[in-house]
Amino acid sequence: MGHKLNVNGDAVDIDVSGDTPLLWVLRDHLGLTGTKYGCGGGYCGACTVHVDGAATRSCQLPVSTLPGKAIRTIETLEDRHPALVKTWIDNNVAQCGYCQSGQLMSASALLDGNPKPTDADIDAAMTGNICRCGTYVRIRAAIRQAAGQTAAGGAG
Amino acid sequence: MMDTITNFSPLSSLSPECSRRRFLGVSGVLVLGASLPVQRALGQTAAPTTFAPNLWLAIDGDGTVRATVHRSEMGQGIRTALTQVIADELDADWSRVEVVQAQGDVKYGDQNTDGSRSITQNYDRLRAAGATARLMLRQAAAKHWGVAVDTVRAGNHEVVHAASGRRLGYGELASQAAMLPVPENASLKKETEHRYIGKPVTHVDAGDIARGKGTFGADFSLPNMATAVVVRCPWLGGGVKSIANKPTDEPGLVAIETLDAAPSAGPVFAPLGGVGVVAEDTWTAMRVAQGLNIEWTGSPNQTFDSNELRHALRDAVAKPGTPVPGSEKGDVDAVFAAGGTELSATYETPFLSHAPMEPPVAVADVTEERCVVHAPLQDPQSARPMIAAQAGLTPDKVEVTPTLLGGAFGRKSKPDFALEAVELSKRVKRPVRVQWLREDDIRHDYLHASSAQHHRAVIDDEGKPTAWLQRSAFPSITTVFAAQAVQPAPWELEMGFSNLPYTVANQRMESAGIRPGARVGWLRSVCNIFHAFSANVFADEMASAVGRDPIEHRLSLIPASGKLKQPGQPAPPGHELDFARLRHVIERVRKLSDWDSPRPEGVGLGFAVHHSFRSYVATVLEASMANGRPRVSNAYVVLDCGTYVNPDTCVAQMEGAVVFGLSLSLYGDIALKEGAVVQSNFHDYPMLRIAEAPATKVELVPAQGRLPAGVGEPGVPPVAPALSNALFAATGTRHRTLPMRA
Repeated sequence: MGHKLNVNGDAVDIDVSGDTPLLWVLRDHLGLTGTKYGCGGGYCGACTVHVDGAATRSCQLPVSTLPGKAIRTIETLEDRHPALVKTWIDNNVAQCGYCQSGQLMSASALLDGNPKPTDADIDAAMTGNICRCGTYVRIRAAIRQAAGQTAAGGAG
Repeated sequence: MMDTITNFSPLSSLSPECSRRRFLGVSGVLVLGASLPVQRALGQTAAPTTFAPNLWLAIDGDGTVRATVHRSEMGQGIRTALTQVIADELDADWSRVEVVQAQGDVKYGDQNTDGSRSITQNYDRLRAAGATARLMLRQAAAKHWGVAVDTVRAGNHEVVHAASGRRLGYGELASQAAMLPVPENASLKKETEHRYIGKPVTHVDAGDIARGKGTFGADFSLPNMATAVVVRCPWLGGGVKSIANKPTDEPGLVAIETLDAAPSAGPVFAPLGGVGVVAEDTWTAMRVAQGLNIEWTGSPNQTFDSNELRHALRDAVAKPGTPVPGSEKGDVDAVFAAGGTELSATYETPFLSHAPMEPPVAVADVTEERCVVHAPLQDPQSARPMIAAQAGLTPDKVEVTPTLLGGAFGRKSKPDFALEAVELSKRVKRPVRVQWLREDDIRHDYLHASSAQHHRAVIDDEGKPTAWLQRSAFPSITTVFAAQAVQPAPWELEMGFSNLPYTVANQRMESAGIRPGARVGWLRSVCNIFHAFSANVFADEMASAVGRDPIEHRLSLIPASGKLKQPGQPAPPGHELDFARLRHVIERVRKLSDWDSPRPEGVGLGFAVHHSFRSYVATVLEASMANGRPRVSNAYVVLDCGTYVNPDTCVAQMEGAVVFGLSLSLYGDIALKEGAVVQSNFHDYPMLRIAEAPATKVELVPAQGRLPAGVGEPGVPPVAPALSNALFAATGTRHRTLPMRA
């Protein structure tokens, strides 16, 4: 039942049943509560993490499928994407904030693969992340700004 | 930050920055205040080190200001806004202010974060709290220096005696200020002196949230805590008859507990009952819960069908209802009998679910002596006695602390989910987190009421109504609170039905109620949603019937000045609907949206205006049809909420209201069959996604000096009618039913 995972660069050994979704491993067993439960069905994106760099819904990933893969969560996002975290704060993007970990993980995966996204690129990459408070216009603005900073200062 | 410092007193070398650097982290906050020469000079031996002149703020010896926020944060920025008010009058340095979340306690007065009234209710008292502390800090400094109080002034976390150049930081003054009697009637700043009120301030939780560190309901944990998932009866009032397959040896399973059913009528906030599956971790609880085969007992609600309810509502508005007392003007029937250009239309809206991104969740720890609850509650104070009763304790043994609320929209003012956690913790004798699944949230909500609206009018050549009959029918929220209640309550009708601001010589308003077989409840902007929808679309129909510009037409229905006299209870003084302010937001949104510039073929502009929660909002949407679906390209919103505290928050609330309003305009539709909600998750109860979100421009009317009004809700009501009107302008098709599917 032991599962060897790589989470935020740390090797961890988790003793749970193999069908346990990564979401609950992160939250219940590793104390990484930044990743949120929103729907359990892959519809809302609140649980988005990076698996080998790709934005992925952690509620849909059985832990048994993850050994050998690099998992990253919101807790270490700022190390790699300081500009994105900063523009999120500076733009007061969050309202309630519950979906924003997932929004940030999707946004950072977008910028990793596409440092200069157009609005259409942003909409396409972020469409899996629901925000019930309706912060979408600020999410677009923050991603655009972070992309500008990436080009100018090399951060992010 | 400070330049010359005299050496008049040992204290004077301790600027806030300097003292912070010197003492913080070395010996803590107590070094200052307790041991400095000032106390000795004053002959005090055991001075308090913290200055806490009222419930709302405390200043430690190191200068840290702790501002207490007694309202719940659910995205509306209240933890920031209330702190801005306190810090402003205190003249505190924002970077040295910490926010303390209050527990539920009657000492704070009303804590119900609901009805868009946190600022309205607390603006004056929190200004006074800050101003009182500021005066006492000045008094303490003046006393220390032996000068008159009016020769010293406060500014940015310190008190300065300009004549001598002496200055003392707030932390240095805390212990002496704490010895002074609390004065009454400390004078407030002038509007022009505000440093935080009326200024955009980044939310206090923005950094934590962007780093995944914010503590929402499910993020709070206690040692030895178990997690529970509850399986609830599909229909209201049903209980557990039997469990066919109760597992006993599942690893990680703690207990399977049968919970009493809620009353089938008038359940108020009682938990729904069902089967609580308590486990060591969430996934085990979820898996076991999903595998249970439960037989339920019957209930009168088991036959409830929302489609039948909609037919009944439609029938109800097709015939005379109960007149709203005091609403009748002139003789509507005589005008209808005389004939003329007559319009009539019926509008329908469905049940809606709140669906906050954070489903209900609560942590409770019940022992024989006490009960501790941490949960995303909109009203921790009113929840406290209910929690006490559930725990079998007196309220003084109960602590209720709100976490951050991951969205609420009215759902989390009902503490049924916290009561479930209390009951299960009591049963298993250890801390329990109850986690609602998304399916539980959609299926077992307090639903926004389905409604039917009927409007009938005779209009003149300019489209102005000479007679107007309005009818509204919906299941009242009071049905949840009383098993016999049927009729809509006056406060529900005052949400955009009995207080329409249009001049009509002959007018009558009638309402009808119906008992639903489900829990209904308030959802962001409540009855304003369906009332604003029908009234704004019907007004647009009047304009189009005579070929008039909808905004010109609307302005012609509203008096140039004066206040609305609404039937029934008058609005509180200063909060009466002011016609000039209503006209002003309309005029501004006309300009903001460039209303008079023609749009391309197939693209239409739609306008709506609504006064709710004491604020004025005018909205224009630009829409077209794309691939058989409505597409909104631009949104323009003008808000007059009187005095505002954080303008950026106000703008954000309008942006969010557009998205919230478009979700219900395009998708929101909860159906019930055989007493059970049909939908279950975001695949069949969709939300607007980013690609559908319009570019949004918001203008805030500068109205500092006027009474502050609501911000969280009033942006929602105009959205659906503005979209319906825009689609009519774009396509010629009228949408009188929500959601507008095509």
